[in-house]
Amino acid sequence: MNIHEYQAKKILSQYGINIPKGGIAYTPSEAKSVAARVSFRGPWMLKSQIQSGARNRGHFLEKEAGKAGGIRLVKHRREIAREAEKMLGSTLVTEQTGPKGKLVSRLYVEAFCKVSRIFYAGLVIDRMIPAVTLLIAEVSTENITGVALEHPEKILKIQLDLDKGASPAQIQEVMAFLKLKPRSAASLENFINGMHKAFKDYDATMIEVTPVGVMRNGGLIALDAKMSFDKNALYRHPEIRRLEDEYEEDDYEIQANKYGFNYSEFDGNIGCIVNGDGIALAAMDLLRSKGVGTACFLNVKGGVDKEKIASGIKIIMTNPRVEGILINILGGFLRCNLIAEGIISAAYDVGLNVPLVVRFEGTNKDEAKEILEHSKLPLVIANDMQEAVDTLIKAVEESD
Amino acid sequence: MSILVDKNSRVLCQGITGTQATFHIRRSLDYGTNVVAGVTPGKGGNMHLGLPVFNTVKEAVAETGVNSSVMYVPARSVKGAVREAAEAGLELVVCIADGVPIRDMIEIKNILKGSQTKLIGPNTPGIITPGAARLGIFPENIHTPGRIGIVSRSSTLTYEAVVETKRAGMGQSTVIGLGDDMIFGMDFVDVLERFMKDDNTDAVVMIGALGGTFEENAAEYYRSLKHKKPIIGFVAGEAIPFGHKMGYAGDIITKGRISVQDKKDAMNAAGITVVNHINAIHEKLQELAVPAGLKK
Repeated sequence: MNIHEYQAKKILSQYGINIPKGGIAYTPSEAKSVAARVSFRGPWMLKSQIQSGARNRGHFLEKEAGKAGGIRLVKHRREIAREAEKMLGSTLVTEQTGPKGKLVSRLYVEAFCKVSRIFYAGLVIDRMIPAVTLLIAEVSTENITGVALEHPEKILKIQLDLDKGASPAQIQEVMAFLKLKPRSAASLENFINGMHKAFKDYDATMIEVTPVGVMRNGGLIALDAKMSFDKNALYRHPEIRRLEDEYEEDDYEIQANKYGFNYSEFDGNIGCIVNGDGIALAAMDLLRSKGVGTACFLNVKGGVDKEKIASGIKIIMTNPRVEGILINILGGFLRCNLIAEGIISAAYDVGLNVPLVVRFEGTNKDEAKEILEHSKLPLVIANDMQEAVDTLIKAVEESD
Repeated sequence: MSILVDKNSRVLCQGITGTQATFHIRRSLDYGTNVVAGVTPGKGGNMHLGLPVFNTVKEAVAETGVNSSVMYVPARSVKGAVREAAEAGLELVVCIADGVPIRDMIEIKNILKGSQTKLIGPNTPGIITPGAARLGIFPENIHTPGRIGIVSRSSTLTYEAVVETKRAGMGQSTVIGLGDDMIFGMDFVDVLERFMKDDNTDAVVMIGALGGTFEENAAEYYRSLKHKKPIIGFVAGEAIPFGHKMGYAGDIITKGRISVQDKKDAMNAAGITVVNHINAIHEKLQELAVPAGLKK
């Protein structure tokens, strides 16, 4: 689960990390009054609060929003409301949002902070150790993924002790790597350990500060911030769960999550219903090897509730991009007959208008097949995944 | 015979009085698994499914000599339950729960480092030695005793691999699901080491997944072996575009570009027979059958 920049900054500031003065604005007049509060003279930053990186390099779909990106520097007070008016209610497209973009409904208005240099600081989990790992890089852009892929040697990686955070020696290592002046040492230690403590306390899976700014007095300041949290640990943090912004998630995904299922979208035309990520990937690979793409998949995991399973199947049946449905279930904990009943109930409610091929294996598969055979639904039952995929592709071609 | 669990395992069930545990332990007992005791805090002194229930793992060890545990406790109780099992000196713990917090898993791995206890899971179907012992939620009816070892990072593809051995006319020595989570207990190397030494395993099917470098580590280990048994490998996820959220963002930053193809290349280079479709496994098994003397 992700949160917005201003929310992440607020959390970090509670851990002693410096952030520029700022406030949230939903209207142009609010933007103006927040600006007056955070800085007398300016300049100010107007930052679109959507959950995406590279907002600065993005563009708005609406012409009226102007050519500038999703983060704008405003020098004169009289321009604040005008600029805010253009951005609010417009749709920002970045490398990460997809072509549809995301609606900007609030701006974070910040006092512009002059810094002498910037760098990247991140905390992620290195699953191979496993440990919380500090990542430091000298970057001019916010594109750390690019650096990681092209020049991995330019990223300093340090494993942190889960309880104690960074040791004095590790802080020295970062100082030397970045060639920071000694007067930044105390601020750096405070910064890294603040990040680490926030990471641990809130069960974060990632914190990125892109960039950290070094101010003239040597002190460090978080100019941007991103935090993601472990969904499985949200029960320990109701205050974080409240920050969840449903608008940021895919509609289908929200629906699927409500039933306890996983849902993922791709750009093909086959909908897959499976009961594990591995089987979903194997099915997608098989489809791809025949030149066919996947539109989406729904993982019903170990579902035991018939109603929920039917609702999940409906999500796939009603997706307009889906031209054929592959249901591939290996029953273990999950019983195949529940899926069969779910298919019938979903088809009854929303109609089955595309070819459907089902393959069952494992717990109660014979019962499941019998249920479907009695239903008289126009579907095909296959014996293995290969046969299921071949049959479905042929049926989709014929229905065109 | 087999690895990690067999007829002689003395199995404890942590969380035995729960609904899921009751359902699956009954099935495991019917299957012939030597389950001898259960633990549910506060319910010590009772009997459940004909087995004595204890308050703590230590008591169960002292009274019944259990050496392995299968736990059906909910995700939020997993850390405490694994700690207790490790402190009581159990050799093996199998954890079924889905949704264990990542921070808890880091702590669990730290706890296990200082102990002799091996963890399978979490978020796994468990481990089964067909005809002898079932610790987990495997649909036992698809398994047959035999000489193929199976180890998988994907729960559902574990079943698929079992079906493939059956299509090849073979059975399984032991089948292990490592778990679908980001952080898990035993990995490929831990399991392969045991399969390579096991007299009743002639070949191994290994199923990898997106994320991490577990397959690369396994390939490195396999390459270093003097005496190897054949491994047939499969990794799902080629169709997932690089950078999709199904992979893991932290992996890109910490490990660089790791694609499914990289994993397959590493496995191939180490001498593992990599198949591109999971349903091609049975053909490869049949090809191997004669030289490795696999036929039952």
